[in-house]
This record gives sequence, C-alpha cells and structure tokens, in this order.
Amino acid sequence: MPDIILRNVQKNYGAGSPNAVADLDLHIGDGEFMCLLGPSGCGKTTTLRMIAGLENLSGGEISVGGRVVDSIPQGIFVGPEKRGMGLVFQSYALWPHLTIERNTDFGLRLRKVPKAERESRVNTVMKALDIEKYRDRYPSQLSGGQQQRVALARMLAVNPGVLLLDEPLSNLDARLRLEMRAELKRIHAAFKTTIVFVTHDQWEAMTLATTIAVMNEGTLQQRGTPNDIYERPANRFVAEFVGSPPINIIELAASGSDPLERAARDYLRARLGAAADLGSVGIRPEALMLALDDAPVPPGHFRHGASVTAVLPTGGSWIIEVNCAGRVIFLTTTESPTLQGGEIVTLHARPAALHVFDSHQNRLAGVDDALARVA
Amino acid sequence: MSAPPITTAAAPSWRNRLRYQMRLTLREPTTVIGVLMALLFAYLIVVPILSILMDSATVQFGDDRRTKAELGSVTLYYLTRTFTSAVARDLFWVPLRNTLMVAGGAIAISMVVGGILGWLIARTDMFGRRWFATALIVPYMLPAWTFALAWTTLFKNRTVGGQQGWFEAIGLTPPDWLAYGQFPITVILALHYTPFVILLFGSALRRFDSQLEDSARILGASGATVARQVILPLMRPALMSAVVLIFAKCLGEFGVPYVLGLPVKFDVLATSLYRSIGSRQTGVAGVLAGAIMLIGVIAILVDAYLAREARRFVTVGSKGSMNRASRLKGWRLPATGFAGLIFAASVAMPILTLFLSTVMRMPANFAWSNFTLDYWIGWDLPTVAMRTGILFSPDLWRAAFNTIWIVGSASICSGLLGILTGYIVVRSPYRPLSVFLRQVTFMPYLVPGIAFAAAYLSLFAVQRGPVPALYGTYAILILALMADQMPYASRAGISAMMQLGKDPEEAAQVVGAGWLRRMTWVVIPIQKGSLVTGILLPFISGIKGLSLFVILAVPATDVLTTFSLRLVDYHYTQAANAVVLIIAGLAYVGTLTAQKLTKTNLAEGLGS
Repeated sequence: MPDIILRNVQKNYGAGSPNAVADLDLHIGDGEFMCLLGPSGCGKTTTLRMIAGLENLSGGEISVGGRVVDSIPQGIFVGPEKRGMGLVFQSYALWPHLTIERNTDFGLRLRKVPKAERESRVNTVMKALDIEKYRDRYPSQLSGGQQQRVALARMLAVNPGVLLLDEPLSNLDARLRLEMRAELKRIHAAFKTTIVFVTHDQWEAMTLATTIAVMNEGTLQQRGTPNDIYERPANRFVAEFVGSPPINIIELAASGSDPLERAARDYLRARLGAAADLGSVGIRPEALMLALDDAPVPPGHFRHGASVTAVLPTGGSWIIEVNCAGRVIFLTTTESPTLQGGEIVTLHARPAALHVFDSHQNRLAGVDDALARVA
Repeated sequence: MSAPPITTAAAPSWRNRLRYQMRLTLREPTTVIGVLMALLFAYLIVVPILSILMDSATVQFGDDRRTKAELGSVTLYYLTRTFTSAVARDLFWVPLRNTLMVAGGAIAISMVVGGILGWLIARTDMFGRRWFATALIVPYMLPAWTFALAWTTLFKNRTVGGQQGWFEAIGLTPPDWLAYGQFPITVILALHYTPFVILLFGSALRRFDSQLEDSARILGASGATVARQVILPLMRPALMSAVVLIFAKCLGEFGVPYVLGLPVKFDVLATSLYRSIGSRQTGVAGVLAGAIMLIGVIAILVDAYLAREARRFVTVGSKGSMNRASRLKGWRLPATGFAGLIFAASVAMPILTLFLSTVMRMPANFAWSNFTLDYWIGWDLPTVAMRTGILFSPDLWRAAFNTIWIVGSASICSGLLGILTGYIVVRSPYRPLSVFLRQVTFMPYLVPGIAFAAAYLSLFAVQRGPVPALYGTYAILILALMADQMPYASRAGISAMMQLGKDPEEAAQVVGAGWLRRMTWVVIPIQKGSLVTGILLPFISGIKGLSLFVILAVPATDVLTTFSLRLVDYHYTQAANAVVLIIAGLAYVGTLTAQKLTKTNLAEGLGS
C-alpha cells in the first residue's frame, strides 16, 4: 500500500484570499490510519480533497507511493479518477438513481471487470459491511447508518490503495457512531489500506487513529500518536483543542498579579531557572488531585488552595468545579468524591503533569526533562 | 514530530505554473465546452440584438436616396423618423400611448379582480374554493388571442367584412369601441393576466404569517384595519412585482392587438413594429425594436429592484403561517357568484363561443338545422376555398407537423443546452465564463418575443459570411425559438445543478469515472426529471407562442398559431377558431400532463 507525501502544499481560493492551507508538510505512512484533526475551517477537508485530486494546489506537491500526482514545480496533475483512491463523503453522496448493488459495483463496471469476478467482489464487500439484504433498494430507502456503509462499500469494492474519509460519522447517532468506529478499525486491519480520516471530533481521532495530525488555520500543529498528542502537546492550541473537559490554562506572563498565576510562576521559576521563557502552563483535569485540609500533599507537587463550587456526576466519573483564587478550574476523578459545595481543599499536581508553554505558545524546550529531574 | 525529512521543493518557474494551469484546464472538457457554448450564445443571442440596433443607425437598402447617404453609412434618419418626423406620431407616439393605456388598464383590472379572487381562494370559506383554485388559472394556460377570436366572434360589426358577429346577426350592432380597439384589448389582457395575480397574490397570502395578523387583532384592530395597515403593506412587494411583470408581458403582446386593433387602426408598439417589418422599413423596425427592448429592460430592472427591496419583508415560512380561513357569512354566496362570473367570462364563454362558432353555419342562429360538423370533418363542401373540414385539411396537418417538429426540436435543444449551461455555470472553475453564460442566456428574457424575432430577421435575412440567408427556413425558427427559451431552460438547469451538488459526481470521479462517463452515468440520469420539465415547459409555451413566429414564419413553415392567424386574415372564421381550439386544447392538456409528471403547479412556471 502506498504512502502519501505532501511537500510545501498550499491552497488559496483566488489570489489575495487567505491561505486555506499554508506550507503543509505531511507524511502519511504506508498502512497508517491517519486522522486530520482540527476545528472547522482549519483546512483539513481541503487537505483531504487535495490528496484525492478534487482540489488543485496553489503551491507545493503531493506524491503517492513514490509517484508525483500533483506538482506545481513540475507542472504535473493526475486527475482524481487516475489516483486509485477511495473517498467517503460526509454527505455519503450515494447515487440516488442507482440501487445499492449498482452503487457498489459502479467502479468495477467502469473498470470492465468480468461479471463473475465483479459479483464475487461485490458480495464479499457487501457481506463484510452487512448490506447484502439491501442490494435492490435505492439509497433513499436506507437509514443514515446503512447509507454510510454503502458509501464505504462502494469505495472498498475497487480495492483502493488509499481510503479517504471526510467526517463520515458526523451524521450518525451516538450508538451507530460507536459501531462504525469499530467497523472502520476492522476494515483497516482486514484490508491493510492506508486511511486518511478527517474529523473535528477528538474522541474519534483518539480512538481510531494510529497517527493524528492536528491542524489549525491551515497549518500543521503537531503530528504524532494519539498518546503523544495528549501527553505531550506541541503547543498551547493542541493542548486546548484535545481533551474534555478542556485543559486548565494558567497564564504566566510576568505582569499578572493573580495569586494562582503568581504561585505557578514562582513554582516553575524555582525549578526551571529565572531565564526560562514562561508563557502559560496547562494542567489536565484528571492530573489535578484534591487534598482535604489535613491530608498530606506529596513533596514537590505544585499546590494551591481552592474551594469546591460544584460536583457534576457524569456516570462512572465526576467533574469537580473549584474556585481557585477567583478562577474556575475543572478537575475530573473516577473515585466517588465525598465533597460538598464550599469545602476548602488543596489542589495539587505532579510536576511531570504540567505542560509549560513559552511566550510563543510552543511547548517549552527541555521542560519535560527538567521537570522530571526535579521530581 | 516524527515525520521523515522532507525536501523543500524549489520555487516553481512561471512556465511550470502555466503548464500546471493548462493541464488543469484541458483535463476536463468543461471549460472547452463552456467556451464553445459562450460563443454559440453570443452568436444566437447577442449578435442578433446588436444587428438590429445597428440597422436602426445605418442606411438600409433602398433608403439611400431618401437619406441622401450611401447604403450602410451611419445615419440618424431612422431615429428622427421614428421620434420627431411627421409620421412619428403614427409610428411611435400613438402606439406607445396605446400600449401604455392598454397595459395600464389591464393591470388595474387584473389587480382588482385577481386580488379579490386571490384572497377569496387563499383565505376564505367561499364555496368551491379548491375547484376555483384550478379553474381560474385556466386562462393563463391558453393563448391570449384565443379570447380575441372569441370576442370578434361575438362582437364583430360591419366595419369589417366576412362572417358577422353574433350580436350583429341578431340585429344588435355593437359600436366600434366595443367591437375593436382599446376596450376589448384591455379587457382581454386583463382576463388573461388575472390568473397571474391570483397565483402571486394567493401564494403570498398563504405564506403570510398569521401571527402578524393576530398581534394586530389582540391590540384591538378591526378586520378592515388589519387588512389596510398590516396585510396590504406587507403584500405590496408581491403586488408591485405582479404589476411590473404584467406590464412587461403586455409590451410584447402581439396577437390580441393584431386581431382586435387592426380594423380600427389601433396600433400598439408590437403591431407598429410588425407593420414596419411588413412594409420593409428595416431601419424604423430597428428603432422600434430597440425602444421595446429598452422599455422591457427597464421594467425587468424595476422588478429586480423591487424583489431586492421585498427581501426586507420577512413574511415567509414560520410556524404561524397557518392557512386560516376568514368567514364570509352572508357574503359567501355573492363571493362564489363573483368567482363564477369571472370563470364564465374568462373561460367558459370564450371557449363555448369558439366551439359553437365552429359547428354553426350562420352566426347566432340556434336552430337545430343550423348546426353542422362540416367545418371539422366536412368533405367536398360547396365553398370556394377550404373545401374540406379543418381536420381533413392538409394545411392543418402540415402546420401541426411543423409545430411539433419546430417547437419540439427547439425545446429539446434548449432543454439539453439548459442542463449543460447549468453544469458549466455551477462547475466551471472560471468565474467570468460562468457569469457570462448565466447572463447571456438570461438576455432574451429582457427582450419581448416580437423584438427578438425582428432581431433574428435583421441578422439572418441575408447571407452573412458562411451563414446562408435563413429567412423562410425551419432553421431560423428553431434557432430563434431556442434562444428565446434559453432563459427558462438555463435557469432550470442552473437550479437543478445547484441542488445536485458536487458530491455524487466527485464520488464517481474518485472511483475512476472520466467526464463523459460521469455525464452519462451520473449527472444526466439524476437530472432526468428536470430535463423532462426543461423540455416540456418550453414546448407548451412554444405551441401557443405567436409573436416570434408571426415575423419569422412563411406559409411553407407555418405553425398552428401562424396558420390560424392566416385563416383569420382570410376571414375563414370557423376554420381559424377550430385551429385555435386545437392549440388551446394542446396547451391545456400539455400543462396538465406536465403538472402530473412533475407533481408541481406548473401554471406558475408558464411565464410566457
């Protein structure tokens, strides 16, 4: 299966308009399940459509499996119909005038695959996706989840080397979405296809992908495994975009007189040195711990007093809202808390759980080693 | 970041950039087809209009001595002749005044009658509301001059020769003002366009948010106050738009003033233009056509402006827009009577009169012996001409064949071109191309049919370069009709392609379908329905169309409408009325069929 390399890819719609995608360098490895993750309008769908060949480039080049398919420097453009990819649209885009079977074998007929082979191929794919019983129906007679599977079957039937998915699960209800996620993982394992998946749903990205590329405003923010993205966000945008409830951010700008900010700044200065370029620090809700007034706090932890304002059970876990020197901080716990509103507690976190960003909002270089050492 | 090292691509040279652009452009035939179509439409639509405008400013054949200038040189002769000379009054100013008066009268009557009927149908408990909702729309499906012929059948007096009118026959001679000219033309156009007001006003009323009405009621307003202060002001945009559209249509109306105005020399702009062409005053015809176009363009621009203004009133689609009926109480019966009266006057009477006139030997003699089917299926009749019933006349069948052939091929062409235009307008990566196509295909809408036909005559009457003289051929009729129908066809195509969206086609592209495959396997099959409508609608309006054909058709290329007009000219009243009935029947059945096929109310779309 081919890999995909994007070099300096740029896209703008008409001269003078802002870049939808700016200088994107991205490598999608052979057999990888890559998620393009980002808020709406970040250029992820545009990137996917450029890979498919449905949008042309404004700069840079794309190669698939070592073959340049789109390049302004070399003046090459290979049409989408010749790239051998599959694309599942957000709207599914089933052909309303064709039955499910004809939708599925469309690509095979185009390729003039002999009837026997075509039928066996269609049967295999339909069976794999459990849509055999609808073969004579029309798309309008199917539910959203069924249509989604047909859209997938239609692409898998031609056995594409690369499967592109544009938010394919966003129109499904929660339960179906879960089922389809498992389905996609199965397909990835069974067909060994390189998959590029666009989503704005971090949960989906986390659960499905082998690699995530986080995008914002047309630029790549971070590329890494789901764990990397979560545990070591490359910048403040990634830290804030991934995680729910969102990461708690404390500004460290020198002028701030907020007690929490001052405490965090003093804590980090003591460990990273006075010269460290401190911009802000983030602490994930689940990394924050609570100690009731008399309980001991492990030495070396960052700590601050707070009062509990609300406890929100979410079934199996709890979100606790505390007021920390006038600021709202969220934390989550899986242990049943015996807290009441107004209770005074101490918040604390391991040094390694602190994500420190510099004044340019990038992860502070060397900060992890430094904090690990002091712990 | 774990990406492998990536080499930075060198900055592309302009040559490669160009190569890339060329590759993109030529990869898909969309652009090439779009350019070809742009050229085609420029030739079929823009060039004829330019040609007739140029005619009006250059010395025409035979006029070189009068203008004391060489053939083809620039002259103001035609402009001064039309606007300021001694004959200007007859050529332009009187016809202009007549046109404005007829249009004004027709608008006033149809607004009042149509407004009342629209309200009765949309918002009251009048008896037979549903039935009237369809029945009162019928006049709009029939050609307007059907009613003109019915009128002459009834009111014709001895000013004109030929068979007598019914009133004349029973000894009551109708005065000229009743028989011909402004009064009957105004009444007939008013009746013809009343359905238009009913449709526009009725649908605006139906979508009216009754919460607005309720709020006024709760604050203590009476029914009359609500109507005056809430409903009417909010309806004004819809009403104004109806006024402008009716005006634009009256401007190009030819058949009715031709039948009813000619005997008393009551000319409107359309008939004055027809006369100028008939008397080979090409330059003056150019000026008149230009004037009609200009007035038409102004009317449409006013309408567009009003439509934009209207958007400020949000009266559409909220949950309060329930269709609640006002109770008429004691007025229920009189209201129903009024609707019935209008139906009788605008549908039942004219059709019945026309039909009876074709089965009676002597007008207004209702003795059994006076009835005959000879005019339909007679054989070896003791008359000078028309010695068979109309159904046995080879001329009728030739005209019918021509109609189907000419209108049919023009409709199929414009339907296909409409879808293709829609495709290119929506898909072309080159905005100027799509903007040009959209605008050029809309242009004929601004030009009344008669002026457009004159433009065609001006361009194609003589050989120009490789294009032979087309006057008298089928080709000129088909081309003119096709161009005339493009506004409707391209609009239908564009909206269909907009609705389809890009996705189904891109899905086919991704699995490997090239352009032709996508068109034949995906786009056209999906658009089958709108393609059928896009062909059927122009077909219906083409069958009853007159103004375009009356200038471009010759006896050999007669269609049903011009054939019947020729019969009118020869005073073969029965035969003419029979042909008109056939046309009306075709148009009516066609409309109903289209309505069934598409499950929509097509009467609204029959804008021509």
